[in-house]
Amino acid sequence: MSEVRFVNVSKEFEDDNKGKFTAVNDATFTIEDKEFMVFVGPSGCGKTTSLRMIAGLERQTSGDIYIGDRTVNKAHPKDRDIAMVFQDYALYPHMTIRENMSFGLKNLKRPKEEIEKKVSEAAQILSLENLLDRKPRELSGGQRQRVAVGRAIVRNPKVFLFDEPLSNLDAKLRVQMRMELSELHKRLGATIVYVTHDQVEAMTLGTRIVVMNQGEIQQIDTPEELYKNPKNMFVAGFIGSPPMNFVRGRLDGNIVQTVEHALVVPEDKLLKYAEYQGKEVVLGIRPEDVINIEHLPDAPAQNVIEPVIKIVEHLGSEFLVYFGIGEETIVGKISSDYHMEVFKKHQLYINMEKMTLFDPQTQMRIG
Amino acid sequence: MLASHHSSKMNKKRFTWENTVQFFKDYGWCYAFILVPVILFVLFTVYPLVMAFIYSFQKYSVLGSEWIGLDNYRSLMDSPVFWKAMKNTLIYTVATVPVNILITLFLALMIFPLNNKSQTFFKAAFYLPGVTSGITMSLIWLWIFDPTGAGLLNAVFDFLGLDSVMWLANPDTALFSLILMTYLGAHGAGILLYLAAMGGIPKSLYEAADIDSASWWSKLKNITWPLLKPTTLYLLVMGVIASFQVFEQAYVMTMGGPNLATTTVAYLIYEHAFLSFEFGLAAAESFVLGFIIIIISVIQFKFMSSDIEY
Ligand SMILES: Nc1ncnc2c1ncn2[C@@H]1O[C@H](COP(=O)(O)OP(=O)(O)O)[C@@H](O)[C@H]1O
Ligand SMILES: [Mg+2]
Repeated sequence: MSEVRFVNVSKEFEDDNKGKFTAVNDATFTIEDKEFMVFVGPSGCGKTTSLRMIAGLERQTSGDIYIGDRTVNKAHPKDRDIAMVFQDYALYPHMTIRENMSFGLKNLKRPKEEIEKKVSEAAQILSLENLLDRKPRELSGGQRQRVAVGRAIVRNPKVFLFDEPLSNLDAKLRVQMRMELSELHKRLGATIVYVTHDQVEAMTLGTRIVVMNQGEIQQIDTPEELYKNPKNMFVAGFIGSPPMNFVRGRLDGNIVQTVEHALVVPEDKLLKYAEYQGKEVVLGIRPEDVINIEHLPDAPAQNVIEPVIKIVEHLGSEFLVYFGIGEETIVGKISSDYHMEVFKKHQLYINMEKMTLFDPQTQMRIG
Repeated sequence: MLASHHSSKMNKKRFTWENTVQFFKDYGWCYAFILVPVILFVLFTVYPLVMAFIYSFQKYSVLGSEWIGLDNYRSLMDSPVFWKAMKNTLIYTVATVPVNILITLFLALMIFPLNNKSQTFFKAAFYLPGVTSGITMSLIWLWIFDPTGAGLLNAVFDFLGLDSVMWLANPDTALFSLILMTYLGAHGAGILLYLAAMGGIPKSLYEAADIDSASWWSKLKNITWPLLKPTTLYLLVMGVIASFQVFEQAYVMTMGGPNLATTTVAYLIYEHAFLSFEFGLAAAESFVLGFIIIIISVIQFKFMSSDIEY
């Protein structure tokens, strides 16, 4: 059993400039055994701090942390059975790759043969065999990254902690390493906690994702759930690329009345919106739910708007088209099969079957 | 335009009047600016060095020096006093430099974890003896080593029920006394260098080591010490150079005595030059000493040189 559990964990920093500052506020969650859990959120939201509290590099101000079935509230990092891959890799610059990878086991006074065996196993998994006698500075970014992972693997820990391990790599290498990490997770069958600010990385890697903002956990869910059922406007606006569009409006009967349009709410959704009848709401529409009517087999009877397109961006198979509703800019992701022209009016269908409504005050999803 | 101007000048390397004028128009000011330091350097460094080198092959006399070839060097090699001075200098160097580096490192290790204010206090406190003149320090140490019960060390010995020691007057303890002075002496500059170097080691290395189950000692041995190697090398080379030239203490405290026990090479040079006016001999000694220092420094750089880069 190597689950990681936070119960009401908070971390405050005493900062000379900012005074008392809460980096993580009242976090409660369970990372299941063998899970690939990704922490995602904008820079400064408390991801690294959370990870460092699991590692024991930072002591929580309050709350309890469990690894496996024991509390590790005051345990030293070495006693937590974790391994960490740092954002800057933190390889020992004066040691060879072999020495870097065996340092942990040497400290544990393991027999020489065992150390050698584990290092060469890890080196094989990560294709580092030919680099073992080099120093870190003789390696490329991607190779250093592998060494950092290798150093974690040889210790065979219960939990792997990764802090933005791909952020220093170029885009192509990042995609490749992403796949390798995914495979590694399956191969090792270990619990992985992974921090990133990149929502694409989070969505592709995570079996579940913790979305954080300003020290608060916003939602913990599978990538699919996060995308389909974001709990609030922050999650909706953070997950997805481009993110969800928000349009202010008013719910009147089965109509969301925006400044320009009256959009019809599907019958089956009305019940859960009942409380908001006659009130201000925020309508959330994903870019892919804005559809050029040319693509539809039957002309829809409702929810068609005809805005002037302000910008068209070509992504190959798709266009990103930008237009205004009132003061808000809306982006649609539209198949490029039919040509779309900038500064022209186009008929666009808003797929209200996939709509989401938010409370403008609390920013929480309605229903 | 600029490139063609330069390349045309490159092609015409011939020494013509126009070229010379152009050269001074282009670079004249640069030479004017370095002229003063160059003159000072030649006057006070190069000239004495050359003259000393010439003296070392002469029997010096105010009325007219006499060429004697390598006689000065030969008599040095045959002189038991010179070898005694060499041995004293070597003992002094071996006993002071490495030990002092360890003491400095230890102090820096103790100061480094403290908060900013305490760090500043200790840095200042340890630096203070360094800005006090060596003569003043030596005078204080004369009192500490006072052979009567009035001396601090003997007072302590007395308190512990031990016999008084004639620290500086006894040939067996005199050199050791001078060595002891350095242990309790100025570590300030070294501490500052070590603290700066420690601050330059990424914190994440220690965190990685924490996760790698490294003990305090393992971190010191496997991370801090290797990464401080450039600083240690610098302190070692500088320490050896300074210690090979040690003079002040021997001059103020013991006048090289008793019975040559604290006569260092530098002190011997002083004696020969300014007490017996054998400038030729003193010059020869200086060049031997300088040569040894250069050799040792080169060896140190060869064996300790490191290639650390984060
Ligand atoms: N040691 C520290 N002292 C003071 N403030 C800190 C410290 N570490 C982190 N913080 C603050 O806590 C917040 C969260 O930091 P962090 O967890 O590193 O964010 P990120 O999500 O980008 O990894 C930031 O505002 C940061 O400035
Ligand atoms: Mg971070």
